Amino acid sequence: MNILIKSATIIDSKSEFHNSTQDVLIENGVITKISKSIKNPNNYKEIKRDNLHISQGWFDSSVSFGEPGYEERETIENGLKTAAHSGFTAVAVNSNTNPVIDSNSDITFLKSKANKNAVELLPIGALTIGSKSEYLAELFDMRSAGAVAFYDYKKPISNPNLMKIALQYASNFDGLVCSFPQENKIAGHGVMNENVTSTKQGLKGIPALAEELQVARDLFLLEYTGGKLHIPTISTATSVALIREAKKKKLNVSCSVAIHNLYFTDEVLTDFNTNFKVLPPLRTQTDIEALIEAVKDGTIDMVTTDHSPIDIEEKKIEFDHANYGTIGLESAFGALQNIFTTKKTIEVLTKGKTRFGLEQTPIQKGNTANISLFNPDEKYEFLKSNIISKSKNTIFENETLKGRVYGIIAKNKAVLN
Amino acid sequence: MSELSVNHLLGIKYLNTQDIQLIFETTDHFKEVINRPIKKVPSLRDITIANLFFENSTRTKLSFELAEKRLSADVINFSSAQSSVKKGETLIDTVNNILSMKVDMVVMRHPNPGAGVFLSKHVNASIINAGDGAHEHPTQALLDSYSIREKLGEVKGKKVVIVGDILHSRVALSNIFALQLQGAEVMVCGPKTLIPKYIDKLGVKVETNLRNALNWCDVANMLRVQNERMDISYFPSTREYTQQFGVNKDVLNSLDKEITIMHPGPINRGVEITSDVADSNQSIILEQVQNGVAIRMAVIYLLASKIKQ
Repeated sequence: MNILIKSATIIDSKSEFHNSTQDVLIENGVITKISKSIKNPNNYKEIKRDNLHISQGWFDSSVSFGEPGYEERETIENGLKTAAHSGFTAVAVNSNTNPVIDSNSDITFLKSKANKNAVELLPIGALTIGSKSEYLAELFDMRSAGAVAFYDYKKPISNPNLMKIALQYASNFDGLVCSFPQENKIAGHGVMNENVTSTKQGLKGIPALAEELQVARDLFLLEYTGGKLHIPTISTATSVALIREAKKKKLNVSCSVAIHNLYFTDEVLTDFNTNFKVLPPLRTQTDIEALIEAVKDGTIDMVTTDHSPIDIEEKKIEFDHANYGTIGLESAFGALQNIFTTKKTIEVLTKGKTRFGLEQTPIQKGNTANISLFNPDEKYEFLKSNIISKSKNTIFENETLKGRVYGIIAKNKAVLN
Repeated sequence: MSELSVNHLLGIKYLNTQDIQLIFETTDHFKEVINRPIKKVPSLRDITIANLFFENSTRTKLSFELAEKRLSADVINFSSAQSSVKKGETLIDTVNNILSMKVDMVVMRHPNPGAGVFLSKHVNASIINAGDGAHEHPTQALLDSYSIREKLGEVKGKKVVIVGDILHSRVALSNIFALQLQGAEVMVCGPKTLIPKYIDKLGVKVETNLRNALNWCDVANMLRVQNERMDISYFPSTREYTQQFGVNKDVLNSLDKEITIMHPGPINRGVEITSDVADSNQSIILEQVQNGVAIRMAVIYLLASKIKQ
């Protein structure tokens, strides 16, 4: 595939062309020339767009699709299409399918489903068999098939000894263990953050304590075992403080935050709208401020959409019964740009790659073209019609977002809106 | 003629002071009606009301049904034990099926908080919340305030303590909103395990010593311990609960004033309240029950008059 990108502002702090407007020539999937003005050598496909900006391809460390087993929520094909049109060139896909992705053949299935796609699918294997928190899954075997991390999606490992053993065992082959930060007994039957809104609504609360106890426990375990821990989707100020301390101690820990947890407080839940039912729950303004600060100073390593398509039958019901989760790929860039500068937005969308075993691909001559294309300034109201996902459960409906995605170029393919 | 600011009664927090005033004035009228030899008025002959109870209830259901019949409405009853809900039908489908039989108003009790709010957004009928999980039970709070007004002249400036299981109680929450709206001071009292951690942010006082609470208040509203809503043990034994939070005649007599005792029922005699207190002239428990019918007549009447427009 040969492409000439015309007049694109490059946002890539690792590239010598950072913050400059250039033409970029891509031949057979490789960047062969970057310069102020390149003549189209041989009738190559040209990309010209309003206020075109490009960066190295974006990565999301927590995406759920549903295939196999929950195709009514989302298929791999349409999920990856959604990712591409939302600017993502790589997504780590969770194991919360039916059956759960917990074996070499499951990982191979996911990889094979996606291998012709422009978007790189990085499978996450379950940490325990069936994500039942009883016995470790065959982590090494899954790793051999291409699993990039091990995570019982949204299911805490309640038994501390099991988590201890998982960290020790995976450290043999530098495996990344993920632990959902929730102490289930403290969380109880909670369905939203425990605070004044939950009190007013008569909804059972999940105290911040439930998350913080688990984070503290896991950091103690990590200190004891060594190994490599990732804590997906933290949501409280105290979790930030605990992880900041752990990083000072040089523990090998990383963490992420879901974009919606940077965006909304639990006060939006005054209307029992199930699209706001997410896990971890939306917290307080104090938490949001601490989380944003932590993204800025690097305590939080990456942001994620925590993209969770849920079909309407599991959302248009009583709040207590509704399933957790929101889709997030389509709104990710526009929502982040309401919080951070464009430079920071790109940084937090690309930084997590290394932790999940992907190479950084700066926009440089000789590098594989792995590029996201966008207009950072266009503002628009995010509507159901902007959704590509099969399920429409978005937390961002009717929000004014900043920044429109034009598509991606990756794996010698271009997917453009 | 004045009218309610809302089309449904989903919770006290959706009402304003004028609404409460209007409901009370209308209740005064219906209270007079139900004390006539012929206790019935023809006001709602053209209205059909469905009572949908997805959770057990005896007195609230009876009270609503009586209120509806005394307004001459047509009434149908439905409870989940006999319904298709257990076969997997959704709440919206269940209710829409009933509404397709030309029902104008739905009175619903439901175990999940917000079920009434949810329904009001998806079906075309006036909804009265008869209790939704630990969220609200607005007619109970209205009848409680009405009973205080009747006994003490007004609600404004009165000190009311709600004693017992605040954590699982929709009655407590609706009472807090209703009393505050009318200018009363509210305190909650009970074991810390049964008081929501952030309840003070609603502007209520929190007390864990019953004697202090009773000394402070003009009215004590004693709640039942809702064992059926507890998934774990919040206190060691009923006996120990009673030792700390049960009201008996000795405690009442030791106060330097005569306070009013209320209870939304059903009473656990000897647990939160002893028989001699429940049956004493300080108690207005039976007045509450009687006022319940008049309050529900008023609410149904006022919402029905909005449908008729």
